[in-house]
Amino acid sequence: MNRYIKLVNFEMNRIAKLYVVLLAVTFVSQVVGVIYFSKHFLKQVNEAMTGNPQNRQEVIESMSPLSFDQVTETLLFVGPILISITAVAFYIFIIWYRDWLGKNTFVYRLLMLPTARINVFFAKLTTILLMTFGLVAFQLMLLPFEMKIMQWIVPKDLRIDASINAVLDRFVELRIIFPESFIEFILHYGLGTIIVAIVFTFILFERSFRWKGIIFGFVYGFIAFMLLFSPVLLNELVLNSYLYPSEIVLLEVVAGIIVMACTVWMSHYLLTKKIRV
Amino acid sequence: MIEIKDVKKNFGRKKVLKGVSFTAEKGEITCLIGINGVGKTTILNAITALTPIQSGEILIDGEKLHKGSYEKIMFIPDAITMLPSMRIADAMEFMNDFYDCWNEARAKELLQFFKLKESDRISDLSKGNTAKVNLLLGLALDVDYLLMDEPFSGIDIFSREQIADVFTSHLIEERGVIITTHEINDIEHLIDKVVLIDEGVVLKEFRTEEIRENEGKSVVDVMREVYQK
Repeated sequence: MNRYIKLVNFEMNRIAKLYVVLLAVTFVSQVVGVIYFSKHFLKQVNEAMTGNPQNRQEVIESMSPLSFDQVTETLLFVGPILISITAVAFYIFIIWYRDWLGKNTFVYRLLMLPTARINVFFAKLTTILLMTFGLVAFQLMLLPFEMKIMQWIVPKDLRIDASINAVLDRFVELRIIFPESFIEFILHYGLGTIIVAIVFTFILFERSFRWKGIIFGFVYGFIAFMLLFSPVLLNELVLNSYLYPSEIVLLEVVAGIIVMACTVWMSHYLLTKKIRV
Repeated sequence: MIEIKDVKKNFGRKKVLKGVSFTAEKGEITCLIGINGVGKTTILNAITALTPIQSGEILIDGEKLHKGSYEKIMFIPDAITMLPSMRIADAMEFMNDFYDCWNEARAKELLQFFKLKESDRISDLSKGNTAKVNLLLGLALDVDYLLMDEPFSGIDIFSREQIADVFTSHLIEERGVIITTHEINDIEHLIDKVVLIDEGVVLKEFRTEEIRENEGKSVVDVMREVYQK
């Protein structure tokens, strides 16, 4: 356990620079986006009032007031989120391959640590999760700040104030990242964790058997995904929607636990018996 | 004692090890000799479970390798096993964090022995100094066995001499060492045992003292006899 925590700490330190860059890009891009969009909106209002300065109310009524969810649809706002998702997706691969490839052969060191090799797997998985949770938490903290900026720039009668929840409700894609309930959180992030673990196992297949491993990895991945989504598939294709949603959720959780257990076991087997440097 | 018993290993269809057997004693330096590609590094990788074997058995003091074995045996490959972005001090701290058998006092002694600076970044080191750091990180562990893969490979004569000095120092004594090298002249006088390998089999295994005293031959003489047959 102690060495696992040290490994997580070590892995987190390795991504620290990239992580800070992602946070900085998100902060700068979104704040600039909010300022630019708010100012742009005010400019439009001012232009509409040109030649008719007395009738401010008329102009306001003719234009839709600015709401924060309009800002969340801009590239400057969504862009860094997409960049972060892409970075995490790439990092799922890089976190393993960088230890094998390049000048250094750090994988020698990792595999010769006096600890169970599966701890390396868990440490890398934990790092990806912490990285994701950190980015999500940062985004959540940033939202009220960005809303405040919009409120500072746009006068009250020209904007609609909404709660963070309302903003997230209107932006469906954000709801995947910011679940509404604890059950959703477990489902979204549980599923995400299992998918990352399956990808890790795929990588370990490739690192163990090289070209053949890619085929083994795809076969394993396919079986794992079929098993993972078997409750939904069976309900839709065989049972004609016989099950209640709550029953499907329960079966999905059971399937998820089985797939995760198999994936951890397979990764443990590959790391101890088949891996090569 | 490290026992390698009838170890076979294939890479695809290529049979790299075709039933290799030999032993390496604690307190002795065993040298694996053979041309490139005969499976010397594969043997070292197999001993430390860094590559799976098809069949055979590898025992370290009578036990199969397990996670705790890495407090007892350490492999020093010919490439640096630490991140290039690390300073030597970071690498030492990493080892101290993870290995109970890390000997900080010996690490400091080795730093002085090799004339290295803790503040130096690994990526900035010369090839010779990189090899020395690699050696430092392995030698500063209180392990019973050290496996060294080509520690003299591609480095200048002065660094080679400095590394060879390690073998006559207290830094090695009492430990079992398995070393692979092409620079046999540098350490011939230090080797206790030689295992000549070719095409995945052990051609000859002998003690250097015996052939020196009984036959008046050097290791290179025996190599010529065996490989030029």
